[in-house]
Amino acid sequence: MVNREFTVASAYTYNRAGPIRWIISHVLRYKVYLLIFAVGTILAQVLTAVVPVLTGNAFSIVLSPHPSASALITITLEIVGIVAALFVVAPAGVFGSEILAQRLERDARDELYLSLLAKSQTYHNQQRVGDIMARATNDVRQLNPMINPGVSLILDSMSSLFIPIIFIGFINPQLLLAPLLFTVGFFFAVWRYTRQLTPVTANMRAQFGEMNAELEETITGIEVVKSTAQEQQEEGKFARNASKYRDFFVKNGAIQARYIPPLLIAIAFVIAFLHGVFLIAQHQLSIGGLIAYMGLMTLLRYPSFISIFTFSLVQLGVAGANRILNVMRQETELDENANGYDEPMRGEIAFEDVSFSYKGIPNIAEGDEPDNTPTSQLGQSEPTFALADITLRIPAGQTVAIVGQTGAGKTTLTRLVNRTYDATSGRVLIDGVDVRDWSLDGLRSQIGAIEQDIFLFSRTIAENIAFGVGAPLGDSSEPAVSREAIEQAAKQAQAHDFIMSFANGYDTVVGERGVTLSGGQRQRLAIARALLTNPRILILDDATSAIDSATEDEIQRALHEVMEGRTTLLITNRLSQIRRADQVVLLRQGRMVAVGSHDELMASSDLYRRIFIRYDGDEKNSKLMQAVAEAMTSANDQADERDHQTVAACG
Amino acid sequence: MGFIMDGLDAEAYDRTYSDAGLVKRILGYFRPVRGAMALVAVTVLAGSLMDTALPLLISRGIDTLSHSFTLNAAAILVVGILLSGALSWGFNFARQLYSAKAVGNVVLKLREDAFAAVLARDMSFYDEFPSGKIVSRVTSDTEDFATVVTLTLNLVSQFLLVALIVVALFIIDPGLTLLALLIAPVIVIVALAFRRIARTTTQRARRALASVNSLVQESMSGISVAKSFRQERSIYGEFCQVNQRSYAVNLRQGLVFSGIFPLLNTIAGLGTALIIYFGGLRVLGHTASPGSWYLFVQAISIFWFPLTSIASFWSQFQQGLGSAERVFALIDATPRVQQTGEVMPPRLAGRITFDRVDFGYNEREPVLQDFSLTIPAGQTVALVGHTGAGKSTLGKLIARFYEFQQGRLLIDDYDIRSFDLPAYRRQLGIVPQAPFLFAGTVVETIRYARPDATDEEVEAAARRIGGGDWIEALPQGLQTQIGEMGRGLSLGQRQLVALARLLLQDPSILILDEATASVDPLTEAQIQEGLDEALAGRTAIVIAHRLSTVKRADRILVLDHGRIVEEGTHNELLARGGDYARLYNTYFRHQSADYVPGGGFVAVAEGPLALAGAEV
Repeated sequence: MVNREFTVASAYTYNRAGPIRWIISHVLRYKVYLLIFAVGTILAQVLTAVVPVLTGNAFSIVLSPHPSASALITITLEIVGIVAALFVVAPAGVFGSEILAQRLERDARDELYLSLLAKSQTYHNQQRVGDIMARATNDVRQLNPMINPGVSLILDSMSSLFIPIIFIGFINPQLLLAPLLFTVGFFFAVWRYTRQLTPVTANMRAQFGEMNAELEETITGIEVVKSTAQEQQEEGKFARNASKYRDFFVKNGAIQARYIPPLLIAIAFVIAFLHGVFLIAQHQLSIGGLIAYMGLMTLLRYPSFISIFTFSLVQLGVAGANRILNVMRQETELDENANGYDEPMRGEIAFEDVSFSYKGIPNIAEGDEPDNTPTSQLGQSEPTFALADITLRIPAGQTVAIVGQTGAGKTTLTRLVNRTYDATSGRVLIDGVDVRDWSLDGLRSQIGAIEQDIFLFSRTIAENIAFGVGAPLGDSSEPAVSREAIEQAAKQAQAHDFIMSFANGYDTVVGERGVTLSGGQRQRLAIARALLTNPRILILDDATSAIDSATEDEIQRALHEVMEGRTTLLITNRLSQIRRADQVVLLRQGRMVAVGSHDELMASSDLYRRIFIRYDGDEKNSKLMQAVAEAMTSANDQADERDHQTVAACG
Repeated sequence: MGFIMDGLDAEAYDRTYSDAGLVKRILGYFRPVRGAMALVAVTVLAGSLMDTALPLLISRGIDTLSHSFTLNAAAILVVGILLSGALSWGFNFARQLYSAKAVGNVVLKLREDAFAAVLARDMSFYDEFPSGKIVSRVTSDTEDFATVVTLTLNLVSQFLLVALIVVALFIIDPGLTLLALLIAPVIVIVALAFRRIARTTTQRARRALASVNSLVQESMSGISVAKSFRQERSIYGEFCQVNQRSYAVNLRQGLVFSGIFPLLNTIAGLGTALIIYFGGLRVLGHTASPGSWYLFVQAISIFWFPLTSIASFWSQFQQGLGSAERVFALIDATPRVQQTGEVMPPRLAGRITFDRVDFGYNEREPVLQDFSLTIPAGQTVALVGHTGAGKSTLGKLIARFYEFQQGRLLIDDYDIRSFDLPAYRRQLGIVPQAPFLFAGTVVETIRYARPDATDEEVEAAARRIGGGDWIEALPQGLQTQIGEMGRGLSLGQRQLVALARLLLQDPSILILDEATASVDPLTEAQIQEGLDEALAGRTAIVIAHRLSTVKRADRILVLDHGRIVEEGTHNELLARGGDYARLYNTYFRHQSADYVPGGGFVAVAEGPLALAGAEV
């Protein structure tokens, strides 16, 4: 049983043992439509096959020694009757399959969505939204054409192959010779054809994508191409891609041209005609019988034209189903731990000899490792651990600035606190209790996170601010928090003024009609959101860059407001904030290389000094630069021959 | 499937070609493959003849059999049927094969021409048109054109078949032919009406689907917010509504689409009933033979499928012409940057002179007017000013990305218009705000500007940036894959790679647009160290956003509405308390390490913000 973070009581349960069983269990949910589909489709083919038989009868009547016009009228009316019945039966079958197809798509999307909601944050952090979107859009969408026209056409063409053959058997069993020979040849030919065509078509599509992607890249990077004068290199690349595509296109055309069933049906026709004539000569068949026979043979043309792409539709659908199932089956390793520790938090954090590796965290794309999982962001020295041997004690209410390069483990470190990930070894304690012993709800509801990319829903600003306290979204029933409280939070976050500058104020819908928010504005909304939920620990990934100083003043005031009285883990690029933090943690490739106050680190860490070297007051600066430069040149034997001030690797 | 949007995505460079001109142009592309096309034409005609022969032969056979049965006659018939079937397949095979070859080559040539035309455009073209649209002209429009050519060939052969059979029927029995043709207009009208309805329902269905997808996209992007606030239930509720609505709309569309074939079948069935009755009467009255009666019954089933495709053909054909028109418009658009000479510049010293230059991106809004400036070789110039002051314009003119309208621009003492552009640009180093890196390894990216550079040269260039320790932070060092559009690297790392690329290129003139986005402090330190290296010994124009950069510049130019309003060094200009001091208070104040919110202002000569000077 998969651990879930969210469940819906009324959800229908499907068989997830395999893609085909899963699809069948979906379809079997609507047995009535399945029945309508099957009966309607087959019955329509039976009726269709009756028409040539009646035509044959009409010929028999007319060519008989004593022809009667009234019998001809009867036959004609019979045909009209059959056509009328077809008018009802054929749509019923098609509608049945259409409803099945649409419901399959709807239900599968619903099932996938529900399962995604139920998965842990860990899982979602591991996935790229693009991958999930591909499952939820393309793969789910592909289920629909798999049923209609896919399965629907297969049933249709199979019955349009076998039902006329059965009718032929009724005219005279000896006549089965030609159609049966044709059927064998037909299946063999289609099998061969599909086997030849599929790889070429796939290559052609892939090459088209490749050509497009490279072209897009060239055009996006046109400034580089032009400024480095590499137009010829790009022209050559494009010509190679376009020629490769042309080759696949021609190959594809050649295989399609060799599609042999039309030739087979012509040969079958000749055999059928010969055989029919022979039987007439033997007086075992009437002219009317021959007409009916040839009419039924004509119906065999239909499957020979249509059956190729239907199988690939089904293949695509099953492959999509498989990918969807892989996502849904993925275990999520955290559970709610509903009975765990759940007390008001003070906000004291301790890392005890914590190491963490991304290995073993499940991944959506089986087999192919995405290029940039955090795993691969590590230095070569520590290939497996994103964080190693972290020991750190943060008293309640302190602000700790975490400094390091991309991939140094800053974000990972903060994510161990709210159990986005669990430490691989060592413990993370909050108020002296291991985070794994906390109830997930209790833990997360008291830890606020303001991410680097601030996500706002396409709803009103008020709803976005109130999001965390359970204001029902898109639902007009009673809000869980008053407008006054929302405004109060916005004012504290220095967001009130810019919100009021919009025509609709707090009711402005984010992202609508050109309402776009700058990074600084989004950040202040996120701060207001956090203020409303009043967490004890705050994780602040502050990479927003203010272009002007006035905005920076407001962001800083808002940050100050929200950090006040809370334990804060602050990932920031702002030197002024780093230097005012109670503690600074300097990370390098997953290890803590220095920890302490600004002044302590300025005294003890070369790496830390390198950061501030250009920023301090001019006087201090020059002295410091000199000192560091001396230290560096002596430490670095491979000093640059240009006699230029080089600050080399340290730490 | 873009037909719904057709006509809505016209671009400024689009032009209308006369039908004759367009056809001539298209035929021009087919000229190199005219042999194959002639073969295709012959096989189309021959194939249709064979397809017509088959039902005629069977009908004759039935007549022969119903009167007098001879083995001889039967044998001739059988051979005839076999031959017509086999030849029809053979001609069809040749037609498909040669049309694929011909179309493949035509499209290849068209694509190469379109891409060459794209590369020949100047930067104003790329500013105006989003890359996606340019790409779709080069690949998708040409693809649509190919599809329509293939489709046209198919349809011509089907149409020929229908025409030939109608002629044959007419010769045999004009009255019955007219009766059989009765179903033709009905089928065409139904098919046209269907297209109309299908178009609107498809549009609705697509919109409904798009709204589900965007909702899923939004909630999956925001899942961490929803999860950390435990709001799964409310977003699930909303999803259910939208998903259900999409289902209903798509079902309606599906029903329309699946209803059409049963309907057409019914019409064809009624036609068959008519022919059986009236044909039968004629046979009874001895005005028609049983064979021709059979032929007419068969004709209905041969007819109706091509008729439905012919109904939809015209609009598709127009689409194909439209695609061709769009591609030609792209090929024919003229670039605005025009060179007057092809001077291959020697190694440039890097002296830049603007001499009374007028420039505007469009006629209505001039950016530079009567602009003059001289930058001595080797100087680092920082450009500061508000958005729209013309800072980046100067760099773009030096890069010759745009054409200026008046005055002269001299590099050393050459007129910039006289240069061979690629040769000139090899001496320019350009680093934009968010450096673009092509997919590949870091080594390949650094080598891009100088494909002949050795691995050692690349490595040496990389090591000169920031002491080289940034390379160790990359997962596989210099062999790290950068990923599509540089996504595998952080913004700061991309800037470091761009600086290394620049060092390897070794340009005389450097144009640097500094990033506004913040970078982690360690990487920032490496970038600053890399800049020291890149700026040394070169003329540099820096669009400055960083306090450390303006402090370092030899000369700061304060731009306002295309004019230089102040110039000097950082300390001189701050002391003056003028425009630069005001800009400092607005843009640079908070970058000081001693910054406190609301503080750190420097004194300006006038204005309400003037506060006692803090440290500088």
